Amino acid sequence: MQREVGALPLAPALRARLAAAGFQTAQELLDTGPCGLSKEIGISKEEALEALQVVRQECHGDAARAAGGSGATRKCTALELLEEEQTQGFIITFCSALDNILGGGVQLTKITEICGAPGVGKTQLCMQLAVDVQIPECFGGVAGEAVFIDTEGSFMVDRVVDIAAACVQHCHLIAEAQQEEDHQKALETFSLESVLSHIYYFRCRDYIELLAQVYLLPEFLSEHSKVRLVVIDGIAFPFRHDFEDLSLRTRLLNGLAQQLIIIANDHKSAVVLTNQMTTRIGQSQSTLVPALGESWGHAATVRLILHWDSSQRLATLYKSPSQKESTIAYHITSHGFRDVQPPAVTPDAGGAEGNPRKRPRREEEKQ
Amino acid sequence: MAAKKLRRAQLSQELCERLSRYQITTCQDFLCLSLLELMKVTGRSYYEVQKLLCKVSRACAPKMQTAYEMKLRKSANPSSAFLSTTLHSLDRVLHGGVPCGSLTEITSPPGCGKTQFCIMMSVLATLPVSMGGLDGAVIYVDTESAFSAERLIEIAGNRFPTYFDSDEKLFCMTRSIHLYRELTCCSVLKRIMSLEEEIISKKVKLIIIDSVASVVRKEFDTKLQGNLAERSNFLTRGASVLKYLAEEFSIPV
Repeated sequence: MQREVGALPLAPALRARLAAAGFQTAQELLDTGPCGLSKEIGISKEEALEALQVVRQECHGDAARAAGGSGATRKCTALELLEEEQTQGFIITFCSALDNILGGGVQLTKITEICGAPGVGKTQLCMQLAVDVQIPECFGGVAGEAVFIDTEGSFMVDRVVDIAAACVQHCHLIAEAQQEEDHQKALETFSLESVLSHIYYFRCRDYIELLAQVYLLPEFLSEHSKVRLVVIDGIAFPFRHDFEDLSLRTRLLNGLAQQLIIIANDHKSAVVLTNQMTTRIGQSQSTLVPALGESWGHAATVRLILHWDSSQRLATLYKSPSQKESTIAYHITSHGFRDVQPPAVTPDAGGAEGNPRKRPRREEEKQ
Repeated sequence: MAAKKLRRAQLSQELCERLSRYQITTCQDFLCLSLLELMKVTGRSYYEVQKLLCKVSRACAPKMQTAYEMKLRKSANPSSAFLSTTLHSLDRVLHGGVPCGSLTEITSPPGCGKTQFCIMMSVLATLPVSMGGLDGAVIYVDTESAFSAERLIEIAGNRFPTYFDSDEKLFCMTRSIHLYRELTCCSVLKRIMSLEEEIISKKVKLIIIDSVASVVRKEFDTKLQGNLAERSNFLTRGASVLKYLAEEFSIPV
């Protein structure tokens, strides 16, 4: 209640007038009332009423926070966080080695960045995740929808159809092997058409469209509350040309990162970004590093670098708060992202919980 | 989209006038400022500025489509998805041919046949749809002066003798291939920017740029400082315009 007038989110001209009239705390404003305020500062009664409503809203928020209620600042103990994290789902990638080094898959409420040279499989992984986020909970997924923001134009619908068909077929096989009732019920809604209609696609041609889209995302996500994944494919592409002023670029990128963190936390969704690689010319040799500079490196919580080693594709977990740095090999087949060698399995599909990462041997024979 | 004037984003007249005093006239200028700067410039409160931001963003943001709608649209006209190269094994590997609506890059050591391939694709694009072509004009941007019209006629005559049985047909085909000789990076970029109107007026169905690397390597020496940034600037700008053209008109590039 002792909040200073200068700290209130009012228009700057109004604040200047209030300060000139001698108002110092929010309580004084509320005590004066709209008519008195309008007479003292010389603004209309409607403007005074609006200003008072803003002040009241702010103070109410302050009071709620002081009383320990659920205000804008979240305060909770580490134990509550631990329980939350343990029940949180992961978005699997269908490549069990990759899921293992990530600690279960792509984590919700965190920003994951995937960097790599062209052609190594970043967009493929994004498309795989956009399909995998929709796997029903009884099969080990998070049953969410996906937003795909494309800046490079590399989203191929036919490829998504292939990946989605393989995923649906995989779930059908698990359901057949396990014969549980909720599996059958989930399968009724999990079909190719439903998977495709829950991927919301935006094509942004330049960085202004990307910024505008990210500003509008919170509204979109509150309308479509089942979205659990936001993919921005190619965050580097629109920012790499037409930017003479690098400080503006850094500022815009940092603002973008902040908004994405807020979106990830508020809507409990995972944010996945793909980045390009650039050459850094050192003293004697040049190395490939992720593009957009050092300051962007702080934006993502988890960083995955995809690269080639002769003809084998490798993925390295470069930055992670909870997992250690390791490298695994992966494969891209016509069904999508997969392990290099399918793990050896028993005929009853890996135990009672129906782990969708293990592909039953029957599926291979059918192929 | 970025250059859209704020007036057309349905902001009030007096707000637009006030912003233009600070040289903020387009959506791009508006969205590049931080919230505090916007508050100072518009003289509005925090919540109002957020609402304004949403309004301006809505004016610039792309439209949403689900993957399902995209698939339906594609399956509505399947034949125009690819331009077949008439080399059956290549078509099989490429899943139908050169895809329409995206950029395809052909690279190889010198002398392997890139320019010959491009000339052949130009002939194929002018063929009617019944023969696997796109029945349209071709824009050929040549930076190495390697295009030979006589070779073009030779390929057309020998490959499709039944179709090009008369000189008349050959001349008709050659008239629909528009050749532009550009020798510097600047002129290549200028030419790419001007292509949009030409595509509509001449009903172009294929764009070929032969080749991007030669003109870039001539002008930008990577050992010199600063040239790397300029070079990638030129390349990404050209690439984004070409992508836009390919997608907008659904033609192969």
